Amino acid sequence: MKNNHLISVEGSLSIKDKNLLNNFLLRINKGTWTTILGQSGVGKSTLLKLIAGLDIPGKFKGNINIKNINKRTFSWMAQDDLLLPWMNIIRNVCLGQILRNEELDYLKAEKLLQKVDLKNFSTHLPATLSVGMRQRVALARTLMEETEIVLMDEPFSSLDYTTRSYIQNLSKKLLKDKTVIMVTHDPTEALILSNRLLLIENKKLTELKLPNSNPIRSINQNDFSKFYEKTIKKLQQAYTAS
Amino acid sequence: MKKIFKFIIYSFIIVVIWWAIKLFSGTPDFILPSPDVVIRSMIDNYYLLFSNALITLYEIIVGFILGTLLGLTTGIQLFISKNSRKLLLPFILLSQAIPIFALAPILTLWLGYGIWSKVIMTMLIIYFPITISFYEGLKRIDPMIVNLISTMGAGKLSSLFKVRIPFALPQLASGLKLAAAFAPIGAVIGEWVGASKGLGYLMLYASGRVQIDLMFSAIIILGFFTISLYSFVNIIMDKLTKWDHKSHI
Repeated sequence: MKNNHLISVEGSLSIKDKNLLNNFLLRINKGTWTTILGQSGVGKSTLLKLIAGLDIPGKFKGNINIKNINKRTFSWMAQDDLLLPWMNIIRNVCLGQILRNEELDYLKAEKLLQKVDLKNFSTHLPATLSVGMRQRVALARTLMEETEIVLMDEPFSSLDYTTRSYIQNLSKKLLKDKTVIMVTHDPTEALILSNRLLLIENKKLTELKLPNSNPIRSINQNDFSKFYEKTIKKLQQAYTAS
Repeated sequence: MKKIFKFIIYSFIIVVIWWAIKLFSGTPDFILPSPDVVIRSMIDNYYLLFSNALITLYEIIVGFILGTLLGLTTGIQLFISKNSRKLLLPFILLSQAIPIFALAPILTLWLGYGIWSKVIMTMLIIYFPITISFYEGLKRIDPMIVNLISTMGAGKLSSLFKVRIPFALPQLASGLKLAAAFAPIGAVIGEWVGASKGLGYLMLYASGRVQIDLMFSAIIILGFFTISLYSFVNIIMDKLTKWDHKSHI
């Protein structure tokens, strides 16, 4: 029977005879922000690469079903901004078009830079920008691609607390129509941003409960600390079990 | 300007040290001529030096350009094809294992006394540093960038020329600078083994006639060529890699 999910992955994932995920099932609906939480080395990033159809360091046995998949279904945001250091900011935003030999839409890129509050930096080189500004350029580059699905591999982990909070809010606002899958080991950002929260535990994906409110959630809201404690406890249990 | 000024200062210091050694050691002119004797010899033999230097310069430049092109092509070939790595890498290593001095007579025998044996020797001596530095540079890309450009739908050629090659430039710059310093050695060795023209030939000629001042003149011109070629490569590569702060520490 066909399912109505945008992304459906089921199977087993292993690296060098070590099972990372056993008979797991991941189904993601369109327009949701799904966060996959787990310790380092449990296979979060590998799972993300698997969904994107990238080379993975291990083996996957199973099925991946993504609706209307083509070469331009995914965009990628990582912990590092991955800006090309010899290209100015606007060309970095247009990187996808440059690589596909398409006509460059500088007007659109300028508008996106305006949205991430970097209007006057289009001719700067990445090295002249702060880490937070560079990550905002990476966000603009992601938006420039206009893909259905955005894959985020710990995109905020290299930022300081204030910048992180600002960019998390900005990302949530600008990616509101996208289907986002984010992997992180930070339970706070998972609770703030997600519509769904999954934990890699005992080589399975376990769904964790989230507060009833819609993201973006504030850490000051009443039940946040209760959910935070529960999530931490689950993470610790997963760590002990592994 | 600053670099030219530096060059003049260093040259001046070397001449002063040279003069001091000559003055205090009392070495005769036929073993160590003083700088003024060498300068006089350069003026007296300017046509002889100029005509021979031009040939060596030609061999160095042609050898450097062809060796660079061959090195870059091989670097890309090694990167894109696993079979090429298996087949070519042992030969590339072998080309370095055999001393260039041992190959020089064979190349002269095969290619004659003209410029091509010297050009090939120059190419051989610079081929290895350029190929290996470029190949290593092409490999050293952040895997996350590979993920990023793959999701952007970049083709193989596009990602090679627009991302990987620019990332490889700082590493290639090291190889090219080594090559610039080595290239004149290849040409001169070739001329020593068999030539009737060029600075290497002139050095042997001068040595046979105990014209040490002429020999020193040829060495100075050769040194000038090496420094000029190195500086030229340095300026070009600095411009191309100015985004890489590690290259400019």
